[in-house]
Order: sequence, then structure tokens, then C-alpha cells
Amino acid sequence: MQIKGDKWTPILFITPSIVAVGIFVYGFISWTSFISFTKWNNVMPDYTLVGFENYRKLFNNMRFQIDLHNTFVFTVIFVTSCLLIGLLLAVLIDQRIKGEGIFRNLFLLPMAVSFIVSGVIWRWLFNPGSFQLGNIGVNQLFEKVGLNFLTCGWYTDPNIGIKAVAIAAIWQFSGYTMALYLAGLRGIPLELREAAAIDGANQWKTFYYITLPFLRPITFGAIIILGHISLKIFDLVVAMTGSGPAFSSDVPAFFMYDTTFRGNHFAQGASIAIILLFLVSLLIIPYLITTFRKEA
Amino acid sequence: MKISLTRLLIYIILAIFSIFYIIPMYIMVVTGMKSFAEVSLDTMWNLPNSFNFNSFSLAWLGSIKEGFRGISGSFLNSVFLVVPATVISALFGSLNGYVLTKWQFRGSDLIFTMILFGMFIPYQSIIIPLVLTLQRLHVYGTIPGLILVHVIYGIPISTLIFRNYYVTVPTEMVEASKIDGANFLGIYRWVIFPLSTPGFAVAMIWQFTSIWNDFLFGLIITPNPASQPITVALNNLAGSYIVQWNVQIAGALLTALPPILIYIFLGKFFLRGLLQGSLKG
Amino acid sequence: MSNVILKNLTKKFKEIIAVDNVNIEIKDKEFAVLVGPSGCGKTTTLRAIAGLEEATSGEIYIGDKLVNDVQPKDRDIAMVFQNYALYPHMDVYNNMAFGLKLRKFPKKEIDQRVQEAAEILGIENLLKRKPKQLSGGQRQRVAVGRAIVRKPKVFLFDEPLSNLDAKLRVAMRAEISKLHRRLEATIIYVTHDQIEAMTMASRIFIMNEGRVLQIGAPLEVYRKPNNKFVAGFIGSPAMNFIDSKIVKENGDYFIDAESFKVKAPQAFYSKIADYAGKEVIFGVRPEDLHDKQFVSKITPSIFNTINTKAEVIEPLGAEIFIYLTCGKHSVIGKMDSRTQIEVDQSMEVVLDMEKTHLFDPKTLLVIV
Repeated sequence: MQIKGDKWTPILFITPSIVAVGIFVYGFISWTSFISFTKWNNVMPDYTLVGFENYRKLFNNMRFQIDLHNTFVFTVIFVTSCLLIGLLLAVLIDQRIKGEGIFRNLFLLPMAVSFIVSGVIWRWLFNPGSFQLGNIGVNQLFEKVGLNFLTCGWYTDPNIGIKAVAIAAIWQFSGYTMALYLAGLRGIPLELREAAAIDGANQWKTFYYITLPFLRPITFGAIIILGHISLKIFDLVVAMTGSGPAFSSDVPAFFMYDTTFRGNHFAQGASIAIILLFLVSLLIIPYLITTFRKEA
Repeated sequence: MKISLTRLLIYIILAIFSIFYIIPMYIMVVTGMKSFAEVSLDTMWNLPNSFNFNSFSLAWLGSIKEGFRGISGSFLNSVFLVVPATVISALFGSLNGYVLTKWQFRGSDLIFTMILFGMFIPYQSIIIPLVLTLQRLHVYGTIPGLILVHVIYGIPISTLIFRNYYVTVPTEMVEASKIDGANFLGIYRWVIFPLSTPGFAVAMIWQFTSIWNDFLFGLIITPNPASQPITVALNNLAGSYIVQWNVQIAGALLTALPPILIYIFLGKFFLRGLLQGSLKG
Repeated sequence: MSNVILKNLTKKFKEIIAVDNVNIEIKDKEFAVLVGPSGCGKTTTLRAIAGLEEATSGEIYIGDKLVNDVQPKDRDIAMVFQNYALYPHMDVYNNMAFGLKLRKFPKKEIDQRVQEAAEILGIENLLKRKPKQLSGGQRQRVAVGRAIVRKPKVFLFDEPLSNLDAKLRVAMRAEISKLHRRLEATIIYVTHDQIEAMTMASRIFIMNEGRVLQIGAPLEVYRKPNNKFVAGFIGSPAMNFIDSKIVKENGDYFIDAESFKVKAPQAFYSKIADYAGKEVIFGVRPEDLHDKQFVSKITPSIFNTINTKAEVIEPLGAEIFIYLTCGKHSVIGKMDSRTQIEVDQSMEVVLDMEKTHLFDPKTLLVIV
């Protein structure tokens, strides 16, 4: 604590931020929750309260059920692939290889690019072509290198749908996961690996008993970050596929946008948003609490 | 020199992944470079025969004949949006980080955690009240409105970046300046701010990239083409059936160019921002 | 007057009491050293005097003025920090001038004061350098320079030498002592190193667990410790403590440690009479153990000689440390370097009984 006089100045200076975040985050979340309990499902606002009606309708809605399923599939594929690829690349790059910087920068580059940009490109790459055009994009590439059995309809195939979006997302975020792991690997004291080597551990055992336990908090953090990104995924879906055939690439965030701003079902849209927020909070709040309790 | 089998395997795996990462970039650059005559789906993977910037100029300027808008106007909108929003949110972040590390008060850690939560929320959960509020403030559909939104929702991340940076500035330095006779603002002005260059670099690069790349706020808050940011314009360009695919991809490259340039020239700070986004200081 | 008075000063951090009801007066122009192990409250006391910590209760006076609510900058103090806390973006000149500039001193006077301080510290040729370009010892000087240009009533030093290597520390010790004489200012100096305390202080304030246990001139606290903590803290190697019993036989008092029995000096009798038959802690400094072969001022007798075995021998050149056992007790002796003893040999050791101490095992206060 400081001596009087300067005690209030710091609080004065942080107050605008507190007020702004208070209103624009917490106030607006409350406002959205309020809307989700009303009848406002038309252009004109109607604040008649209807209880959980919008939520009831939502969970009975076929499209929302598909969305939840898609989100689950997307999250599992996206998070596990990013973790595995990220860890693999980080470990390989950490082997004091030549051209380390080049590989690292290349793998991280997609992170700098907007989801819309990558969506546009991947939409072209995954374009299944047609009878007249023949194979184009990735399919054409597969054909050229003799991997014909890999050609498929990508996002036009309802069985693939969201998985094609996941590949684009993996392209964007696996390098980021690699960077997290690489920072973790570089943080392991060299003495520790040396000690393990002197104790008679071979490379695999050192990796298993020293490296992996050290990386556990990073894996934990990465799961939280990647998981919450996949719950919120929106831009990429818009730019790549939209809802896709039979809603096969639809996600809650896109459903919310569609319902609210194209369909003018504001209360219904608000209820989707609140469910989305709830799912994200399940991941983030425990993370924030543990991270900052540790520091304090 | 003999390369062991393991080494060879390492390079092979890295090379395979490099192909995966490079393919979209390759297509983006190659397609944009091709002349109109060369653009054909059969040869989309081939290198161009000569340099030609026709696709870029179409994407940039649009075509009255074919009836679509170029992205040049939106590119400028994004510049006018990103520059002030980045500077202002970095200043807020810097002051907040300074208070939260060097002038902690009862409850300041809780306040920090609560501010931070704002960085993770899905913006869908605030977007309806946001639109209503911006309409009330008469800034809906305008670039200043969009600046306001990005500044406010940028507070959490920029506060985090500066907090993590200021933790590394020894507190004794602040105490020494208190004894030397400086007050809250004096210490910021004479000691903390001059030492903040790395913090500003990380925060501003992060904010520049994420505001430039934002889509949701631009899509909903600026529905009118005259004030749309570039990602929205690109999405419209790419969603239009009358625009040729090579023009779309040239548009994508133009949109991606500023962040990519930043990444190439200031990658160190970009990476630091990325790592801090995961709360690891 | 630049004295500093602390009245009932208490500082709590949540539940932890860092400073516990401290009452001291530091006199004008005194070199006061607050010494104690880490966590004893010495730094918190110093920071409370500086105004960097608010006192939980109690009063702080500087120059007879109550300063509890006065901001650090208005307390007329200067402080030298453990890690120097130099401003990395300012050159040496500006580091020293910063406080004067903030106080709106005229340019000419700032120049003159910085020049003067730089001369005193021998850093005139470094004024244009940034802290990064300086060695540890030079940074130390700049930190001191920043304090002296202000000409404050009181200088506060927080472990200023702990980041220097051993050799430089010895040199800086002497320089700070010289500086004190030259500036004729009040200095409050915090350290955990009892050698720094002994060599520099006019008076030592020994602290432990938030309290001041003893105040006195260096040799006074060395010769007459108030309690077992001070006795063990001051002096190196530390005083040997042996659990013993006072035994009265035929009008004489003996200190009985089972493995040996020595006779208490006549001077102790009045004070230990009440302890006859009771447990005490017998304290002997390593330098008061002597090899019987080389003892000069004391006469060996069965009343002050014990039989020991050498376990470890550490020859330091001028003297020799010997780790001895006597039955179940282990003691360290600092002996004449001519001693010819070898490990595992037995050795007759003479105790300088007049200089030994006895402590009450319950209160840990000194008996004699």
C-alpha cells in the first residue's frame, strides 16, 4: 500500500477501462441474457418475458443439434491434431537442425493471416471440381502425384463438411501450438536432460520421464486456448463454406449470426450466444482462476 | 559428412509438413502472378510463365464492366481503422499494466482477472446490445464506431501484454523515483514510458494484426460498403459469382499482405504477443 | 537535527507480522546498522522509514517531525537499493540529476552537485555512460551518488553490497565508512552480514522475528550479548552452545555437561546461585578455545581443560578451525595455527572461562 496522496490517482487512471469493460463486457452479457428471455423474434423489439422458451425451442431445433455435434467433431479433430502436430514439429525443430529459423517461420506464418483469407484460399483448394472442369485444387494435385484414392468432395460432401474446415484451422493453428511447445522445450533446464542421461535414460526415456511432464502445463494451456477458439469458430466457416449441405459445416456462432442478423430472431439469437458463452466459460473460468491464484 | 538415418528422417518429416504449410501460400502467389490467358484450372498448380499483375489490379480496383467493387476503398478503411485503434488501445493497456503492477491496490488482482475474461468471450454474446448502443450513440455503421469497439475489446489483451512486460521492470526503480520526488504520472512519464518500447512493440503488433484480421465486428457494425474493413470486402468479393477465382485469390493476397509484412519484419514481437495470448509471460 | 525515532512501529502483511512493536532512536550523524537473518523485519523497517511501506501502527519521526503521512519524496531521505535501481535509459549524469530536476533546482546547482558527488566517488569520467555499460562496483557508486547529490537528512541503505563479489565488498565497506565521516550524515544501513555490521556501524541493531533484540556498539554486542540469538548471530564461526547443568560443590559452582565439567569463574557466582541444580546453556566462542600447548594468558588446570577429539581440520593460514567432539557434544575451535593436531587424535583444550556465557534455556536470555 502506498502513502496517502497518490493512493487514488492510480485507481482514477484505471477507472475508464474498468467502466468500459464493465459495461461492454459484463453489462452487455447481462443485456443479451435478458433479451434471450424475451419474445423479441421480429424486427421490432418486444421485451415481453417468456422464460426459457427460446432455450427450449433451441434445444429442440434440429439445426442446433447438428451444430453442437459439428462443434464437438471440429473441436476433437482440431485440438488433438494441433497438439500432436505442434508437439512433433517442436520436438523435431528442437533437435538443433539446420534451417531451424526457416522451418519455424514457415510453420508460424499462417497465424498472421486472417481467417477470411485462409477461408478463401482453402475454399479453392478444396473445390471438388465438377464433371466439366475435372479435378481442380487439392484433388487435382492428388491426381497429379498419383494419390487418386484421396480425392473427394470435401466440404460439398455432407460426411466431410466441418472436417474440411478443421483442416484449414489446423493449417492456421498448428504452428502456433508448435511455438508454445518450442518455448516450453527451451525452458527445460539442460542440466535436467543431462542428469537423466547420466542416470542412464535413453532418448525415449528422457522424453517420456523429463520432457513430457515438463510440457504438461503447456498442453493444458493449449487445450484451453485451442478449445475456446474452436467453440467460437465463425470467420472461417463464413469464408469457406457457410452452413454447407445439410448443415454439415454449420456451427453455433454462424447459426447465431444467421438467426439474429439475417432472420431478425433477436431473442433466439441471444439464446444461442448465451449457450456459446456458457461453453466458453466452462473452459476459461477455471483456467483464469488457477492461473492467477498461482501467481498471487 | 555423414548424416545419420534419424537426422534424415527428421528432415523428411519437416519437409512433408513444409509442403502442407506452403501450399496455400504458393497458390496465392502463383495465381496472382499469372496473366489472364494463363489462368486456367488445368494448370492452377503450375508456375506462371511471366509476371503479370492483372488479377491484382482487378481485385484492387474492381471492374465496372463486370460489375464488382475492388477492395482498395476497404483497404484504406482498414488503415484508418487500425492505426488509431491500435495506438489508443496500446496507451490504455500501458496505463492499466502500470497501475496493475506498480500501484496495486486491494482487489486489483481480481479486477485484472475480470478484465482478462473479456478477451475470451465469444463476441456474439455482446453483439446485439453493442449494435443497439452504437445506434444510440450515432456511430453505428461508421469507422469511429468500429474504432471504439476495437479499443474497448482490445483492453484485455493489451493490458495483459503490458502487465506481463512491466512485471519484468524492477519495482525498486519505481520506488527510487518516488524517493527522487516523482508522483504517479511523473514516474510513468519519465521512467516507465521510456522503458516501454518492447511492450508497445508487442501490443501494437498484436493489435494491428488482430484488428486488421477481424471480421465479425466489421461484418455486423459496418454493413455499408463505404465504411467496410478489408476482410468484409474480401468476403464479399469472394462470395460473388461474377468474380473470377484468380481475382478472388489476388484479393486474398492483398488482404493478407500487411500482416504478413509485419510478420516477416517484426516476427520476434509477433511471436511474443502470440505466446502471451496464452497467458504465459 | 537528523535523528530518526520509531515509536511502537508495527507492520503487518495480512496475517504476517513483519515488524513487531519496534521502539528505537537513531541519533543524529550516527551510522546505524540493522542486522538480522532474512525475514527478520529489517528491510521492512527501513522501507517504513522511507515511506515505501505504510506503518500498520506506531509513529515514525525524522528530525523530530512525525512523517507517517508524508510521502517518500518529502521525507528528506535518500535510499540506495540492493539492486541499485538505476534508470537504464538515463546516463549516469541524469541518473544522479533526476531527483534534483524534479525538485526544480537551477541547472547550475545541479551541475555543481553532480560534479561534486562524482568527484567524491571517483566516477567523473563515467557521467556520459548508461548503467548497462558499467561494472557492478561502478553501478554501486552511481546509486550512492544519486543519494548524496540530494544532501538529505538521512541516508537509507538496503543491503547495498550483497550483489558485489567478495573482494569488492571489502573495498566498498571501507569506502562507505569513509563517506559517512565525510558527509557527517545520519545513515541507516540494513544488512544480513554481521561482518558488515561489525566493521561499519556506530551502533548495531540486531533484529529477529520483527523485534529488536539488542542495541549497542559492535564490540559491546560481541562481548555482552543479551540473549542466545545475539550471541549466536554475532561472531564467526558462531558461538558454541552446550546443554549443561549448574552444580554446587563445597561452595563452588561447576558447569557440568556430562562429558566434561568445568569450574565457573568467581565473578559468575552471584548471578548463577539461583540456577544451582538447574539446566543452563553454556556458550563458548570458538576463539576462546585454546590448544593446551600454545595457551599463554590462562593457566590450564583440571577446572578449565577438557578432553576432545579432532574430527575435521580446516587450516586457514593465520588460524585454524578445528571441529571437535567431547562425548556427545560438538564444538568448533579457532586455534593457533601452530597446532600440530591431526584428524582422530585427541586434544586437550583450555577454555577461557572468564569470557564464556550462560543462558537460561527457557527464556534464552543471558544469565552471565
